[in-house]
Amino acid sequence: MSILSGNLLQMPIDLLKFPNDLLREVLKLCDPFELYKLSKCSKKRSQKATILRGTKRWKISYYGGNDMIIWTDGPNYRFKQTDNPEDYFKTTRRYGNYMYIEFPKGGPVELFVYLLELFGIRTVEFLEPSFGEFDNVSKVAKLSIDRKMEVEAFRIRNIEEVQDVLDFMPLLNQMDITREFQCSIKFPPEFHFEFVKYPSQIYIRESSWFTIGQLLDCTCVRIELDNSTFNNRDLDVFLHEWKNAGAFPNLRVLKIESEKIDNQSPILEMIPPITNVNNPRIEVSINNKFYYHILDGVPVNKDDGTEGWLKVELGGYSPRLQFLIADPADTVVEEIPEDDDDDW
Amino acid sequence: MSSTEQGTSSAAPAEPTTAPESAAAPEVPESFYYVHGKDKVVHKVSAGALQHSALIHGMISNLGYTEEQAKANPFPFENIDGDILQMVVDWCNQHKGKPTPPEDTNLPKQKEKLFDLVLAVNYLEIKELLTYCCKQVAMMVKGKSPEEIREIWMIPTDAEDEAAEKEAKKRAGKEAAGETAAAAGDAK
Repeated sequence: MSILSGNLLQMPIDLLKFPNDLLREVLKLCDPFELYKLSKCSKKRSQKATILRGTKRWKISYYGGNDMIIWTDGPNYRFKQTDNPEDYFKTTRRYGNYMYIEFPKGGPVELFVYLLELFGIRTVEFLEPSFGEFDNVSKVAKLSIDRKMEVEAFRIRNIEEVQDVLDFMPLLNQMDITREFQCSIKFPPEFHFEFVKYPSQIYIRESSWFTIGQLLDCTCVRIELDNSTFNNRDLDVFLHEWKNAGAFPNLRVLKIESEKIDNQSPILEMIPPITNVNNPRIEVSINNKFYYHILDGVPVNKDDGTEGWLKVELGGYSPRLQFLIADPADTVVEEIPEDDDDDW
Repeated sequence: MSSTEQGTSSAAPAEPTTAPESAAAPEVPESFYYVHGKDKVVHKVSAGALQHSALIHGMISNLGYTEEQAKANPFPFENIDGDILQMVVDWCNQHKGKPTPPEDTNLPKQKEKLFDLVLAVNYLEIKELLTYCCKQVAMMVKGKSPEEIREIWMIPTDAEDEAAEKEAKKRAGKEAAGETAAAAGDAK
C-alpha cells in the first residue's frame, strides 16, 4: 500500500485551493460525467473547472430521444434520462458509456442548453431525429441558429410527419451545416428548396426536387442524389461544365440514381452503359475524410488535366452514374487481376 | 529510505547518515546534496535522485560543490513540511535512475497530507510524481455521487458560496466604514 492508495485517498482534499495550473492537471483527468456531477455540487465552481479543463473542443450530438452524447477527444459519453432517483448518476458501459440522470423540467432541450453551457460547447457533431420524433430536434436546430453554432452533420430520416419537415425546411438555410446533410424524406411534388450554402457532402434519397440548376451551382465535395429526375442530357451538360478548368473545384464524388438515365443519348459523347470492359479491371478509390471507390470506370479529363473516372450503369436496382475525381494525394488507382473474381 | 538528522539551522547541519545504496552501486562516486524543509531536518540526497526534480536539478547543475560545500549549504525549502519533504526524498531515492511506470504504487508509506504533497511536488517540479499524484486526486471522485464529490474535494455549495460572499462584503463594508471614521477623526 502506498501513501496515495491507502487511507489518504479517503480523506477530503481542498481541491479549490490548488493553484490553477495544478487544478488544471487534475481536471484534465476528469471526464464529462465527473464534470457534470461537479456542476451538481456547485454551479459556480464547476464553471471554473470547465474553463480550466478546456472542454470547448468537445462536441454534442442529439438524436431526438432522451439521451445526449458528448464527444471528447477520446470516448463518447451518453447522458441518459431515468425517472428512478436511485439510478441517478449511475454509470454503465454495457452499450457504450452511459450515465443515468434526472432530466430537467424543460426536457431534452433544457439539458442540451445546460450541457452546452457547462462544457462551453460550440459544435454539434450530429443532429438527427430518430424514431419519428422531430419536435425536439427542430427546437435544438433553432437553438443552434440562435447561438450561431456549427452543426457538422444534420440528417433527416425516418420522420412520421412530412409536414413537420416541410415546416422546418425554411430554417435549414439558417443553420451552419458544415460537413454533411442527409435527407430521406419524400416531399410532395410541388416542394421546392434551394440551398444558400452547401455543406461538404449531401445525400438526398428522394431528390426529384433537386434541379440541374442546383447541381450546376453546388459547391459540395460529395454529392449523392437518389431517385433523381436527371436524364442523360442533364448529366451531359453537367459533365461538360465540369470539364472547364476551374469548374467545381471541390467536387470529388458524384453519384446519381435516376430512372431517366438510358441508352438513347450520349453522356460525354459516350452512349451508356459507360464502363471499362478491358482487362485488367481498374479500381479507383478515395480514402480521405470518406471512402469511395469505382470499379471499371472510364477515365475522363478536365481541360486542366485533372482526371475523373466515370461509370454509368443501366441494369440493377436503378440506372446510375458514378463519377470520381482523382487527387494523387488520396486516390489509389489499382489494377485488379483477372483471377481475383475466382477467389470468391 | 534515506536517513535524516535533526539540524538547528541550514548553515551548520550535523553529520547526516548516507542514503542507502541501490543494489547495483555506481562505480564512480556519486555527488550528494543536502536539503531541508520547514522542520530543518537535513536530508542527504544523491544528485541522481535529485534529477527527478527539475527545480533542484536546475539549481545544482552548475554549482560544482565539493562534499563539504554541499554539506555546509543545504537547500532550504521552508515552504515544505518536513514529513512531506521526507516522502519526496524517499520517492526520488527509490526511483533514482529508473523510469517511472505509468501506474506507480511504489511510493513511501504515509497516510496523510496529500494536498501538501501535491503542492510540494508541483513546486519541486517532479513531473512524473506530479502526474501520478494528480491522477490519484482525480481518481478520488471516480464513480462518486455529487454529494460525495463535494465532501471529498471540499467544494462549497452555491448557497455556502453566496453566504461567504455576503459575509466578505459585510466585512469589507465595515472595514471601509472604520477607515472613513478614522480618517475623519484624523482630520479633526
